[in-house]
This record gives sequence, structure tokens and C-alpha cells, in this order.
Amino acid sequence: MAQPQLRIATDVGGTFTDLVVFDESGGHGSRVRTAKASTTPPSFDQGVVDVIDRAGLSLTDVASHVHGTTVVINALLQRKGARVGLITTEGFRDSLAIARGNRPDFFNLEFEKPSAFVPRYLRREVPGRLTYTGDEREPLEMSGLPSIVEDFQAAGVEAVAVCLLHSWVNPDHEVAVKEELGRLWPEVGVIASSEITREWREYERTSTAVLSAFVQPVVRHYLEQLEHRLGESGLTDPTLVMQSNGGVATIESATRSPVSIVESGPASGMHGAAELGRLIGEIDVLALDIGGTTAKCSLIENGQVRVMTDYSIGESPTTPGYPALVPVVDLVEIGNGGGSIARVDDFGKLHVGPESAGARPGPVAYGMGGMAPTTTDANLWLGRIGTSDFCGGEIDPDLAAAEAALATIGRDLGAEEDSASVGARGIVRIANNNMINALKLVSVNRGRDPRDFTMIAFGGGGAMHAVALAQELGVRRVVVPETAAVFSAWGMSVSDLRRDLFATVLYELDMEGAAALGRQFEEMEASATEEMSTGSSSEPTFRRYATLRYRGQAHALEIEVLPDDLVIDGVAGLADRFIERFETEYTYRLDASVEAVGLHLVATLASGAAPPEPAALGPAESTGAHTGRRMVDFAEEGTHEADLYDHRSLEPGMAFAGPAVVEGAGTSVVVHPGAAVSVDGYRNLIIDLDGQS
Amino acid sequence: MTLQEDPIMSSSTIADPITLEIIQSSLQSAADEMFLAMRRTAMSSIIYEVLDMGTGVLDASGELASSGAGIPAFVGVLDKAGKVIIETLAADDPPQPGDVYFTSDPYRGGVTHLNDIVVVMPVFSDGRVVAWTANIAHNSDVGGMAPGSASGDATEIFQEGLRIPPIKAIAAGEPVRAVFDLLELNSRMPDTLRGDLWAQIAAVRTGARRLEGVCDKYGADVFEAACAQYQDYGEQLSRAALADLPKGTFALTEEIDDGRVLDVKITISDDEFLVDLRDNPDQTEFPTNITRDAAMIPVQMLFKSVTDPGLIANGGTFRPITLLTRPGSVFDPKEPAPMGFYYDLLLPLYDLMWRCLAQEMPERLGAGHFASVCATLLSGTHPDTGQQYSIIEPQLGGWGATSGRDGNSAMFSGVHGETYNCPAEVNEAKNGLFVNRMELNTEPGGEGRHAGGRGIVMEYEIRSADGNATLAFTRSKFAPWAADGALDGSPNYCEIIRAGDGERERHSFVAGIDTQPGDVIRIVTGNGGGVGDPSERDPELVRQDVRDGLLSAERAFEVYGVDAAS
Repeated sequence: MAQPQLRIATDVGGTFTDLVVFDESGGHGSRVRTAKASTTPPSFDQGVVDVIDRAGLSLTDVASHVHGTTVVINALLQRKGARVGLITTEGFRDSLAIARGNRPDFFNLEFEKPSAFVPRYLRREVPGRLTYTGDEREPLEMSGLPSIVEDFQAAGVEAVAVCLLHSWVNPDHEVAVKEELGRLWPEVGVIASSEITREWREYERTSTAVLSAFVQPVVRHYLEQLEHRLGESGLTDPTLVMQSNGGVATIESATRSPVSIVESGPASGMHGAAELGRLIGEIDVLALDIGGTTAKCSLIENGQVRVMTDYSIGESPTTPGYPALVPVVDLVEIGNGGGSIARVDDFGKLHVGPESAGARPGPVAYGMGGMAPTTTDANLWLGRIGTSDFCGGEIDPDLAAAEAALATIGRDLGAEEDSASVGARGIVRIANNNMINALKLVSVNRGRDPRDFTMIAFGGGGAMHAVALAQELGVRRVVVPETAAVFSAWGMSVSDLRRDLFATVLYELDMEGAAALGRQFEEMEASATEEMSTGSSSEPTFRRYATLRYRGQAHALEIEVLPDDLVIDGVAGLADRFIERFETEYTYRLDASVEAVGLHLVATLASGAAPPEPAALGPAESTGAHTGRRMVDFAEEGTHEADLYDHRSLEPGMAFAGPAVVEGAGTSVVVHPGAAVSVDGYRNLIIDLDGQS
Repeated sequence: MTLQEDPIMSSSTIADPITLEIIQSSLQSAADEMFLAMRRTAMSSIIYEVLDMGTGVLDASGELASSGAGIPAFVGVLDKAGKVIIETLAADDPPQPGDVYFTSDPYRGGVTHLNDIVVVMPVFSDGRVVAWTANIAHNSDVGGMAPGSASGDATEIFQEGLRIPPIKAIAAGEPVRAVFDLLELNSRMPDTLRGDLWAQIAAVRTGARRLEGVCDKYGADVFEAACAQYQDYGEQLSRAALADLPKGTFALTEEIDDGRVLDVKITISDDEFLVDLRDNPDQTEFPTNITRDAAMIPVQMLFKSVTDPGLIANGGTFRPITLLTRPGSVFDPKEPAPMGFYYDLLLPLYDLMWRCLAQEMPERLGAGHFASVCATLLSGTHPDTGQQYSIIEPQLGGWGATSGRDGNSAMFSGVHGETYNCPAEVNEAKNGLFVNRMELNTEPGGEGRHAGGRGIVMEYEIRSADGNATLAFTRSKFAPWAADGALDGSPNYCEIIRAGDGERERHSFVAGIDTQPGDVIRIVTGNGGGVGDPSERDPELVRQDVRDGLLSAERAFEVYGVDAAS
């Protein structure tokens, strides 16, 4: 029997389940295959099987499978999870309900605080205290646990979370409670906060443990069912699960820390951008992902995504959400996607988003009952999306309805003629501006000059707006991957096993502190190695980061720790790099000492898959892919006759110039006048804004 | 085609509406970016956690063009400082690019108290000032008679710290050494002051750089037109909402904890929101006066909340407001009246106006909340590190029920916003004390068809050998008010439980008392007022409260007539 040679990734989204297939036997430049099928709640495994069928694959040919899922975010947002009982340190059972007391929607006196996931009678306490140095101030007293367990059982508790004060520095008490619970009630799942995070702040850690316990049974059931179903269909190798940190984990590890897979789709898109960038020699990247409801962006430096733990579920400008101290790729998300609804308020101001028409009824042009004009309608009306390519050619757009809806916007803005175009242009400009603000937030606002970055645009709408955004920001080059429409799945397929470990520490940056840092990193590395061992002989590779700050400040910057930093007199170099970075971001330096407040270890274990190989470049002549011309309105740059190209017919080496629109691969690539396009060996479109490719 | 017929260009504006809107969103982003920059670099927890700070963009004339996130109390403050700087300094000595100004004197644009330093920077385009970026923040110590500067014993503002008049602190990018030296020499915590001031400076620079980029792209004239139109938009939003409010004159008189009787008359008409505070006590020698500028803050906040509670606020938003005060009164004192604890009058005023209007618009305004900063100032020496620590914290408390639901538990007061409490784990490490408990207040109070939210109980156990505590709690004598037949909430208070004999002292206000290791400072904040007759409460909710240990079975029967055992 032939060795299985396909590597596949499946990404379950709200509407579609995406598939990306690499054929390792195909040699240089072999095409990545993609497919889409409908997502099938509540039996999500059906959609996965469907999409594999649709691509005509047999699971017996599959050597590896990476899976991304929205199961966690859905369970949390819909509050469909386990009934959780919580055990805390005496005096702190209300920590979960008190939260931090903040009210982001501060003029709104009707603000409603998010209600706790565990009601008060299921929040119980045990005596015993540790100090912030990890010493015991008062011994742990577990004699009350049996009656707590009885009460929990009587109340139908299905999972238990434990969070005790100062377990970030010393988990002994938590571990003891977990073990005792295991003895008293072996059937119940218990999550101790220190198993998930070693960062301080008791509310956030309690919330993390509770959310984890809440979704753990759901995730376990989901992943077991998926693995069983795929196994039945012939998949031999275990499925790996995409996490929110841009890496994958085994099913066992994902189940142990279930909230860590909460943002798997968005994170893998950003990870994919970093990987693609490295592949083509672009290590500093502004990644832009525009979908149906939101746009997301992230800054990638030196080929690395930034991973942080300040995530909060359901957070918005008006609500604090529920924090989870799990590693998530640092990205900014705004309510601006293709389905975002445009409206003119009573005072003549045009707004786009955050309300979305979603997939149903969708934009007006879908003809499925949507009445409110969306960004997609505007793009269609301006010729930026072709009528024959609308929704991948699956929908014949209702142009008249779109025109009528857009004309209302135009008239409300004061236009007396050509009002649909005025409205559509306004929508595109406002949508672009919203995205510019998000892109500035991850770049300019952190002291980064966007001109030093290349933009990689993906998602259904990324390539439609990318060139205009790049122009505004001074970005010189835009890259649109061939798999832009299913790029999250592509990102999954090029992911390694990865663990991000964070710990709060309190060290001066002196020789003693450096030694302590070194010791703690070694402990973390040992624990990561143990966790990640997959039976093979390969060892993980590590990157170490320290979170540093000026003594007295709260905000810290994460700086990579190099091997020389922790040897004698080496810490000065680490401090200097902090001081330089701080000045870049905040315009000044202080005459104050530097201290370490956190450690971050990144452990990766390569998947062993060979990176894709580029195809040889053919001739630049692109007429073979040229399909015609049409008038396209570029909003700020007016209307031009644009060349049209079929994305699937573009071959490596081909080149052409804007104004142009590239269609046919599930997304429309809008190339503004003056920009030059070439197709690289991976079939990415490389768009150079200064016209020289 | 004539200009008038062009759908985008009209003769009345010099740019199309979309361009104006894009610039306006940049004003908002600039204010938000300044806020983030400050939060990230500040030295004091009162800035980075409590967020006792605000940021904004002023137009060339000093009017508020946009305000940043954070705490609503500081939204309408910065224009006062901007205007004073324009009037007193900029006229004689035209600003240069790179200049930065300071002011803190409440009688000269500083508005609140001497701890709050306002930092202002001009934004240049086309060789002229087209805007100012500004921020205000609570600096931990600016001199004065007591650590932390504000002192309950102060009888004159001179005792509350160094008074900074409008002054140029950075000239064309070069720090004026003398200014910084003077400020630092007058502070007990010079390193912290320096760090916080530079965080403020970095923030105004961040904002100015962003706005200069906008001007480069669109031109100074278009930028200024966008600022003006944005304020007009703010005014339109307010006026449209004003039209929906009940009209008439509404009045309320209420005694506050210190025995003073406050009075407010609010007249709402089609085009004006007039607040008359003239009939109020004379200014006092206690540091609970507020300037006229500061009295405007709660007026603006409440106006904003009952008209358009969205997050956009600028100078135009507040144009329909008229405020009448009487010079020499607590709301418009003459120099040198002290005002270190200005918030202990500002919050009662806010609460008074809230209650006054809640009677008229119960669907917009719920019952009374704990309505106090409950300022907790603890200082001493960290027993493990030997370093000085200084806690300056507001406390969480219960909010009133609304016409539709129970009140929120454990939130900061109405004048706070995106303010965060300090985690016990951080507090113990940073300040070298123990937090023995932090839990919901289960005292009776606030029962109603909809119940008030819960306050908190928090215990700080002191470890420092030379500890010092100042606690300023209001609504200690008069509990948060109820509405529509419900029960009042419960009062705010604190107790000091002495080590050894366990002697308990109950207080609402103590200034500068010494503490010993083992002493426990116990904070109890009030439950909010209820709404509606308790007998109308859903019995199931009553049983849940009993089950959750928030209500005793006896009280459930006594107040609600519900037998929780059934």
C-alpha cells in the first residue's frame, strides 16, 4: 500500500467548513487544492467529512490532519457548557462576580455588568493562605471539601474549577485540592487555575479556570466524536487541533486547556501570513484579514506573530467580557467586513458597521431579503467585484436592488445625481478608513512605521481593499496568496506543535535576577518538553522572552532573551534593548532601573512536513489569463477601465499592471492604477505600489 | 456644472462629508491613542489602573474637539486649561512647534485639585496652530502639608501642594530644566512624578504627531472645518435628545453627611439645560469646595447620560448647558479655598442632580448608587523591600436597581468609567500588606421589586511598621436612596480593627492616622437603592438570593413575605 502523502487542514467557520490540501508527492510547484462545504451544526464532523468528499479525497491517503474549530467560542457566547462549581480561597468566592469593576460604556448608566458563569451558591471556599512569595501563611484546610462535594453533586455540578490565591507563584494548595477532589469524586473533571496559567491577578485566573471547566466537556465530546468519525473513514494519524497561538496541539493537550483553541481560525490566518512571509522573504508583515463581519489585523515582526494573554471573551468597546489568560495571537478586530451595514444617521453622517447582514439575509445583492446596503453591495456597484464572480459565481447578483439601496445612502449624503455611486464610494471610503485606524493601532501606535512592512491580505474581502489601504499607509508591497479565501485553513496546514508558557515573576535585572530568570526558563523548558513529547525522538526548540519594565511602571514590553543575556554581566544588553524599544514606542527614556515581571517561553516542535517548493517562473506574458475589461470605480482615484484576469489561469512569472481586477479564486483582487502585479513561484500575487515589480 | 450642483462639493463646506468624517474619526483615534500611551507608561497605579486621567483634542480656540476613553469626569475638563493657556500665555509668546504647557491650579484652568496636572501641546499645520492635544492626570504627590498632597486638615489651597499656573515646560522640544527641577523638588515622590509627567508628555506628543499627519494629507483648512463640524454634530445629537426630555423646572434639596444642605434646580426647555446652584452654602475652610469649572463636570456628565449616552463627546455636546453659580459658595469659591477632596462634594452634587431627574425620568435613571469615591489612601514602608508604598484607591460599591432589573454589584461610582480595582495578589506583592477578604456586602438594604446591587467588604491587614491611613467615605450617614416604594440601600463606612485587643473603630472620614502591623482596615461599601415595592418581587428571585447567601431567610420573609424554604 502506498504511503499516505496528503496533508490536509479543515477549518470550521460559522457558515463554511474550509479545506486545504497539500500533496507531498506532487513535487515542485504542485498546486494547493482547496474546497468549501456548508458547516453543519450541531454535528460539525459531518461538514468536515462533506468537504473532504467534495474535494474527492480519501482519508486513507491523508498523512496528517489539522483541525480548526469555533466550538469553544460558540459554547462560551451561547453559554452552552457544563454546570461549574468553583472553589476559592476563603474570603474570595465573590472575586468572579466582583471582577474589576470597570465600565467601558461610561456614559451609559444602564450599563449591565456581565453576569458570572457560576452562581454564588456554587462558589465555595477553603481556608489556607499563601503569600505572594509562595510561602504558607496559613495551612490549607480541606476538611470542608466532602460537604462541598455533596452540595455540588446535589446541585448537578458537572465540572469543578479551583483557583486559590497566589497559585501563580506556588500551586501546591491548588494541586492538593484537586487531588482531594479526585479522591472524593473521581468522575468529575477538575481544572486548577495553575494548570492553565501561572500569571497573577486572581479575578482573571479564576475566570480562566471557570471558562476552561465550562467548555472542557463540550470540547472533549466534540474532538472525540470528530476523531472517531474520521477514524471510521480511514484516517490513521491522530488529528491535531489548531490553537489560538498560531500552533497546533494534540487532542489531549487541547482538551486539557480547552480555551486555548478559542480563536483558532483568526490566529491561524495570522500565523499563515507569518509563514508565507518567511517563505517569500518578507519577515515584517502587516497581516490583514477581511471576512463577512469583521476585519482583523496583526503586526508580524521578524517572521514572528506576537502572542499575548490579555484575551477577553465577548469584549467590545462597551463591555469588558470575560478574561481568559490563554495565549492568543495579538490582533485587532473591528466590526467591518463585507456584510457590514451602511447607514446615514439623522444628522447626515455615514456609518459602516459594526452591524452586519451576516450570511443571511446577507447583502442586498444576494436577493435573499436583505434591505440594508453593505460594503459588498458598494464594491459590486463600483465594479470592484464582477457580477459573474459574485460569491464565487454562485449567486446572480440583484444589481437593481443594490442600486436602489445605495442610492438612498447617496441621497441622504446630499447627492442629487448618480446617487448610488456617491453612496457606494462613501461606503468604501468609510470602510477603508475604519480599517486604516485598526492598522494604525497595530503599527503607528506602537512606534512602527507601516512603510517598513509588507501587507499580506486575505479573507474574502482582504484583497479588495488592500491596495487602497497600503497606499494610504505608505506600504509599498501587497501580497495576495492564491488561497486567500481559505487562508486560515492554509495557515493550519503549515503549523507546528507549539506551546506558549507565561509566568509572572518579580526580579531585578541584576546578576542575581538573571540567574533566577535562567533557572525558571530551564524549568519551563523541561515542563514543555514533557508535555509535548509525542513519542518521537525530536525535541522542541525554544524561544525565550522576558517582560520588562521600568521600575514603578505598570506597562511592560516583551523583549527576546538571547543566550548571552543571562551569563555574567549579560543582562545589561537585555536592559539596553528594552530601553531602546521603549523609546521607539513612547518617545522618551527614563533614568530608572529595569525589572522583569514576566517570562514567556515559546516551545515548538516542527511538524516534519517539507515546506512547499516554488515553481519555476515562466514568461511574463499574461494575455492567456486576460478575460476582458470593465469600468471600475476606485473611489478616491475615480473610474478607470480595468483589465480583468482569471486567477486560476495566472501562472508563475506572469506580470501585468493596474488598473486591473483579478477574479476567480473566491476573492476579488482590486489593483489600483499605477500598481504592478507579478505572480511568484507559489502563485501569490505580488503587487508593487510604485509600479516596479 | 456649478459648484452647488456637485453632490460632493457644496459651497457651504470646503470638503466632502466623507473626508470630514474621516478626519473626525482621526480626532477620536488620536484621543484614544493618547489615552493608551499614557496608560502604558504611567508610574502610578492611580493613573494606569484607576485611570484617574483623561485625554482630548482641542480645536485652535481651545474648545473640546474630541475626548478620549477612560473616566467620564475628565471629559469636559481639558478645554478650560486650553483656554486659560491661550489667554494668558499664547497671546504674548506665540507657541512654537514642540512646546508643551502645564497647569494645575484649579483657579487657573486646572479645574479639580492640585494633584491633577494638565499637559497641553499645540498642533501645527501651515505654520499656525490648528489644534491642541491635552491630558490631565492625578499625580501622586505634588508637595503640600501631607503625603499625597490632599489633606483633610488643609484650610487653604497653599497647604495642598505646589500651585502650577499656566507655564511652558518644554520650549520647542527642549525641556525647561527649571520647571522640572522645581516640580520634583516639591514632591515627596520625585521619581514617580517625573515618570508620570513624561507619560503625559509622551501622550500629547503621540496625539500631535497623529494630527499633523492628518493635516499634511487634507490641509489645515479642511482639518479646522472638520473640527468645527464635528462639534456641530455633537450639538445636534444633544439637541435632538433634549427635545425628548420632560420639560419644566425640577428642584431638590438634600442634606449630605457633613450637615450641609445642597440645593439644585434644573430647568429643561426645548433648547436649554439650565442648572442653578446659586442657593448653596458659602465656601468652607474644609477641602471640600469645588471650582465652578469642576461643578460643571457632573452637570455635563449627567446631561450626557440622559441625552445621548454614546461615547462621542465634544464641546458641541455641552452647548445646551447653562450653569449658574454664586461666587463665594462651595460651588464657586474664591481663592484660597482648599479643594483637595473636591470629589467628596462633586459626587454628592452628581447624585443630587441624578435623584432630582430620576423622579422625572425613571426609565432613564435608576435608584441611587453608593455614590462615593470611598477614597482609600494607605502608605508606609514595604516590610520586604524597604521601599515606600502609597495606595490611592477608590472603592467598588453597589449600584441602584433600574426600572427593569436589579442593580449592578461592585462597580466604581458614576464618575468613574474604565477604572479597574487592584487585584489582591498585586496589592500584596506591591504594597506589602495582606488583603484578607474581598467579597460582596450581604448586609440588608436595597430590597425592592428590583433590588439594589451589592457593595463590597474588603479587609487590608497592615504589615508596615510606619503605616498611615486616610479614608474619605461619603453617604455614610444617609444610605443610597430608593425609588418607587423600595428600601434604601446601605451606608458606606470603614472600620479600623486594632491588632491585639481587636478594638473596632467605625469611621466615615479619618485623615492621616497611624497604623500598626496587624491592624485591619475594613472597608464596607453600600448596597444600592431598590426600585419598586418589595412585595412585587418575583419570589423565585427572592429564593435565589437566599440560596446565594445574599439574603437571610428571616429577612426574606420580613421584607418580601416569601418563605424561602418552600
